[in-house]
Amino acid sequence: MKKHHNNPDSCTACTVCIANCPVTAATRKFRGPKMVGPTLERMRLSQDDIEPSLEYCSNCKNCDMSCPSGVPISTLNMLARAKYFKNRKRSLRDWILSHGEKMAKLSAATPGMANFGMKMSRGILKKIGISDKAPLPAYASKSFIKLFKNLKQTSYPDKVVFYPGCFINYNDPQVGMDFVAVMQANKLEVIVEEGFVCCGSPLVVNGFLDEAEENAKQNVQILKKWTDKGYPVITCCTSCGLMLKQEYQELFHIEGVAEYAKQLYDADEFLLDLHDQGRLNTNFGTLNEKYMYHAPCHLRAQGMGLPGVELLALIPGLDVQDADAGCCGISGNYGFKDDKYDISMEIGSGLFKAIKDSGRDTVVSECGTCRLQIGHGANVKTLHPLTLVRKSYEAYHK
Amino acid sequence: MREYDIVVIGGGLAGLMAAAAATKRGKKVTLLSLGSGTLTIGGGIVDVMGYLEGGIPAATPSAGLLQVGDGHPYKKIGRPAIEESIRFFKEICEQEGYSYIGNLDKTQWIPTAAGTLKPTCLVPKTMDTTELKKADKVTVLGFDALKDFYPSLIAKNFKKIPAFAQKEYEVVMVDPKLSEGRDVTALDVARWLDTEEGLASCIEKMRNVIDSGSVVIIPPVLGTRPDYAVKEKLEKALGCHFVETASVPPSITGLRLRTMLVRYLKKNGVRIVEQAIVAKSIVEDGKCVAVITEGVDRERTYHAKSFILANGGFYGGGLLAEPGKVIEPIFNLPVEAPTDHELWANYSLFSSEAQPFAKLGLDVDEKMRPLDADGKVLLNNVFVAGRNLRGYDFSFEKSGNGVAIASGYQAAMSV
Amino acid sequence: MQKTTVVVIGGGATGVGILRDLCMRGVDAILLEQQDLAYGTSSRYHGLLHSGGRYAVKDAEAGKECIEENTILRKIGRHCVEQTEGFFARTHLDDEAFEGKWVEACAKVGIPTIPISVEEALRLEPNLSPKIKSVYRVPDAAIDGFRMVWQNVASARKYGGRVLTYTTVIGIEQSNNQVVGIKVRNTLTGEVSDIACDFIVSAAGSWAGEIAALAGINVNVQPDRGTLIAFNHRITSRIVNRLRPASDGDIFVPHGSITILGTTSASVNKPDDTVPNAKEVVELLNIGEALFEDIRSYRMLRAFAGTRPLYSADPNATGRGASRGFVTLDHAHDGLKGFVSVVGGKFTTYRLMAEKVTDLVCGYLNVKTPCRTAVENLVEDTSPALMAKARLYFPAYGAELAASRLGSEGLEKVIARIQEKPEKRQLLCECENVTMAEVEEAAADSTSYMISDVRRKTRMGMGTCQGAFCTFRSVGAVDANGLSWGKDTNVLFKEFLQGRWKGIRPILWGNVMREMELTRGIYEGTLNINGAIDNEGI
Ligand SMILES: Cc1cc2nc3c(=O)[nH]c(=O)nc-3n(C[C@H](O)[C@H](O)[C@H](O)COP(=O)(O)OP(=O)(O)OC[C@H]3O[C@@H](n4cnc5c(N)ncnc54)[C@H](O)[C@@H]3O)c2cc1C
Ligand SMILES: Cc1cc2nc3c(=O)[nH]c(=O)nc-3n(C[C@H](O)[C@H](O)[C@H](O)COP(=O)(O)OP(=O)(O)OC[C@H]3O[C@@H](n4cnc5c(N)ncnc54)[C@H](O)[C@@H]3O)c2cc1C
Ligand code: SF4
Ligand code: SF4
Repeated sequence: MKKHHNNPDSCTACTVCIANCPVTAATRKFRGPKMVGPTLERMRLSQDDIEPSLEYCSNCKNCDMSCPSGVPISTLNMLARAKYFKNRKRSLRDWILSHGEKMAKLSAATPGMANFGMKMSRGILKKIGISDKAPLPAYASKSFIKLFKNLKQTSYPDKVVFYPGCFINYNDPQVGMDFVAVMQANKLEVIVEEGFVCCGSPLVVNGFLDEAEENAKQNVQILKKWTDKGYPVITCCTSCGLMLKQEYQELFHIEGVAEYAKQLYDADEFLLDLHDQGRLNTNFGTLNEKYMYHAPCHLRAQGMGLPGVELLALIPGLDVQDADAGCCGISGNYGFKDDKYDISMEIGSGLFKAIKDSGRDTVVSECGTCRLQIGHGANVKTLHPLTLVRKSYEAYHK
Repeated sequence: MREYDIVVIGGGLAGLMAAAAATKRGKKVTLLSLGSGTLTIGGGIVDVMGYLEGGIPAATPSAGLLQVGDGHPYKKIGRPAIEESIRFFKEICEQEGYSYIGNLDKTQWIPTAAGTLKPTCLVPKTMDTTELKKADKVTVLGFDALKDFYPSLIAKNFKKIPAFAQKEYEVVMVDPKLSEGRDVTALDVARWLDTEEGLASCIEKMRNVIDSGSVVIIPPVLGTRPDYAVKEKLEKALGCHFVETASVPPSITGLRLRTMLVRYLKKNGVRIVEQAIVAKSIVEDGKCVAVITEGVDRERTYHAKSFILANGGFYGGGLLAEPGKVIEPIFNLPVEAPTDHELWANYSLFSSEAQPFAKLGLDVDEKMRPLDADGKVLLNNVFVAGRNLRGYDFSFEKSGNGVAIASGYQAAMSV
Repeated sequence: MQKTTVVVIGGGATGVGILRDLCMRGVDAILLEQQDLAYGTSSRYHGLLHSGGRYAVKDAEAGKECIEENTILRKIGRHCVEQTEGFFARTHLDDEAFEGKWVEACAKVGIPTIPISVEEALRLEPNLSPKIKSVYRVPDAAIDGFRMVWQNVASARKYGGRVLTYTTVIGIEQSNNQVVGIKVRNTLTGEVSDIACDFIVSAAGSWAGEIAALAGINVNVQPDRGTLIAFNHRITSRIVNRLRPASDGDIFVPHGSITILGTTSASVNKPDDTVPNAKEVVELLNIGEALFEDIRSYRMLRAFAGTRPLYSADPNATGRGASRGFVTLDHAHDGLKGFVSVVGGKFTTYRLMAEKVTDLVCGYLNVKTPCRTAVENLVEDTSPALMAKARLYFPAYGAELAASRLGSEGLEKVIARIQEKPEKRQLLCECENVTMAEVEEAAADSTSYMISDVRRKTRMGMGTCQGAFCTFRSVGAVDANGLSWGKDTNVLFKEFLQGRWKGIRPILWGNVMREMELTRGIYEGTLNINGAIDNEGI
């Protein structure tokens, strides 16, 4: 079979994906991955109709991970959703949630509307279908790009390109800054290209496939430009990473993705690779601290194991325990939706319980929205692994 | 360079058992897995040997082991290792609070959802048939709207089995009120019983239809977690004995077993890499140096001292069938198969003969190392386990998980 | 003893077409079928409602018949026909000179051919090989054999027609060179009985020679086996013919959720020599590759074969050389009055064949009513109100399919079942979207005796998993409904799965092999429906 051939043919109807889909476990309204994905795909190819429960799929990719047959189930779902929305009107809610980048730029340009999560009343948001309980992210006062511009880096011959993504850029720039510090500690200079746009992941899950493709085209061109020069590109956000290397290939027909994907790295994995080559700065200071770890689904889906856990294991004194309790439920902006909030919390309940039971008060995870959800659901602090790496480097020099 | 003692390829029962045995020996293990294996489909019932060639039931699993032909994996593994592997498996289950019952010296005939009995060796306690055998009166309990369970089918067919014919059968139904939303599978009912409210409401409903002291045959729905909490609470509240049947996928018993084994491995420090599609190997001087996974982004190389190839058969992906030939995709090991495709399969799907295609697979020595057509060891540090082995038709003889456990264990012990 | 005016032998398209025509003209008639309706070639075929393009060059008359009947069936049989249109595509391997000849021949018999650019063709059908050279659009369509047969029967029944399935004709009773009755055996019980009649029409397709022999008459029908492959999804939404002189493996026909590629052509001795083999399948794939490059990456569901009833006055002509036209043989010329055989032809022309035969029979019976089968629809359209209601009860993608299978009356009944027990809306066959209610309705029909009969009526078990899941559920449902034929459930399991196996065995590799390992794991490994049970040990 062609590698990215999105057809339902290898599904054997084995039902494994049904047993592994967190949304299926949380609500009986969803007909489940097998049915909505490959099974109905055969029908979609021959008939025009809609499966209403398609909207419940969160694109978390647990189905793909469990499938013994390599069926791109979640992608079939996303393509079907895009087809459904091709000639239909969209809700304001979905538009807002999928255009985080536009919203962020808008709020930066329009003083007084500085923080839609805070200033726009939650009551109004609730009216358009955004849950008033969900952990909406706040905008940082300065975006990562702004902070980065003001940062003086030491120049090194070896350079890496950083793809920050919307969440780090607008909501959690400190992770980006920690990343730069860690790279610098490894004698690497970071390049950030302003032309990068949102990876498109929130657009895809809300069915704005054409717009996502536009974004993809722009990103592909830039990514390709840098990797052609031999620079690795690094992300700290697992959903961006998955989108840029895998989903672009599955959803669109854009030349060049397979080529640059070879040099597109998750930050943790990149550091581990340095370690394998004996090039990692291992001047780690001792951190006598205890953390829980949560593996984002979109990291697990990438087939690289849990590099964050392995990386943190290099830090002396650090005790990081994998919660190993499945999906947190947020799936990007899924859990922000009023009609999905309860499902999202139900999905995360196992994880929240595991965290609470552990008695540890801080959870480490690569994904920004996972961190939001965990903070909200388990009432704990959250960190990106690189923040700890940076802290450890700094501890060494103290 | 990160190097592990052992890389296990495949996270089915064979791979999980191999990893478990290897960690027990103090080895550092990486498990490369793709999908979640056949366990959640096939189930957590451990068959060892039910039928001999010709369809004759083996007197006991251990008697059956002695009667298999030369090409059979059990013959290679040998009885002592098989016994140890079963003991080891039961030990893990015990330790994890989800113990299995049975032994090699007794065939357990367990009820199936088709109203037949099937011979097996080890089962979870939810399938204990001790009370069922003694009972004069049996209740078969179904759930409204559950489309994968037909209690009257079981009651009717049990009447035709001489040893079960004397019993009286009563069919009763419980309504789990799940008919809203998607179609109902055993998994939905099991998840309902996982919750406190579900369990309480179920007990209420069952009280109306079953008498205290009854023996009750039910679909495999006694919770999705690898423990006996649901069973014990139900039995205590109602004073009954419940017996789960073997049934169609999704398999709840397999889900429980898999959850338990994966948890055990993680606790014991096994690194598990999901979505790792092993595509190639690097072999130097008859030894495998590394295997390479193929991601959508790039290849990743995993170095180790030894490798356990447990990536399943045709279903799992360890063997690829093409017209007139079988390919082992990672090491390109030879698989003997008739070039005339007509010879692969019997004309009758069901008969007293095993299906030739089901016996296709890799030939190994007693240490589970792959052999060429002349019986020469091809790779010194690669050990094969599970359904990719040749010489047995697990469906026909009822031996799937038994071979997976024994060969996984043997592979890890041979490293 | 039952009595009727005309007995029609054969429950294929031709037979049911004749039954309907006779009944519509007011003639009392019974149809006899040795197995289930559409058991013969009428379900083991390609399902192409020919535009005639395939025959235009070699047999202009057949081409003309096709386009005329095509136009009629699209109208009267619209619930069995998918108006897909068709392509004729010339590949890089095909003779360019033939193209001009073909266009001209089509024009001559009135088959519209519209040339389109290769780019346009690839845009419409992205899976087509980019190597194709030229493409024409023609009014081909896909036609569902099962449905067509059932709907003819439903229509005939309204006019008083009777149908006896699992009734094998074993003798033709004559007196003074005149047919007086027919001897039959119940295929399931072996019971023998007689039916008195004045006239017998043999529409036994490839079996026509055997039927004629019962009366000591020689009819030279050479069964010619064609093997086809069903693919798991719709790889093309249009019929695609190869633009070359008719040959093996050059047509792809989309049907609902699947696509069928065929066919081969080989003389066989027996009409029911329909077991395909791996060699034929591999050959078909090799040829099919010219039109669809990725053909090997598409999953097959099964292979199946049917036998063409090729008639020839000349016993030496065989295969594609023999005529595919049809003849009506009035055996009065052979010395037996009241016996007619209709042989040869195509599915596309079944109605025309039926009309010709019925004209002949009516002539003898002195019935003057004209034929109306070309103008009266087979079944009435389902009303928009009923469709809207159906959508409330059927899952997505289910209502239209069910309506086209069931017709209004059947649809009402199935809806009533769901209204009574809402959980019956659940899918018994998830692959083909068949509800439990529909399966139960079909199973309760008086012509159902085994799960395969239900399959033919509903399409259950004909999708991706090929019975891996629905076999268990359907046996369970038959049992739960207390149907008389559900006594020995192990027989039901085995009958159905063996039927599926016949088509799987010749394609047992790739994903099909994987599915089979799963199916055996369930029925042999887990449910042990085959195993001996050791009573001593229990
Ligand atoms: C429906 C069904 C019912 C069954 N019922 C029973 C029963 O009741 N009792 C019983 O004893 N047995 C039963 N069996 C048989 C039993 O499940 C199997 O024989 C046994 O589990 C095989 O285990 P395995 O580990 O060898 O293979 P699998 O479980 O197939 O595992 C192979 C693993 O390797 C992975 N893999 C494959 N290729 C690669 C690759 N390239 N890279 C990385 N990973 C890879 C696969 O994804 C999979 O996770 C049943 C089987 C089926 C299908
Ligand atoms: C591979 C293949 C592909 C084809 N593709 C096409 C196509 O795409 N388009 C097209 O128009 N045509 C096609 N045809 C031709 C078409 O299928 C046949 O011409 C048509 O189906 C014949 O219908 P029938 O009713 O005459 O015969 P059948 O459908 O064979 O019916 C005869 C019936 O008689 C019954 N019978 C036999 N003996 C007895 C007895 N003793 N007692 C009672 N009943 C008996 C049989 O069981 C059978 O059901 C194809 C044929 C083949 C083989
Ligand atoms: S992507 Fe997640 S929510 Fe969607 S079907 Fe798959 S497992 Fe379920
Ligand atoms: S896990 Fe894969 S093969 Fe199994 S039902 Fe789901 S999509 Fe199909």
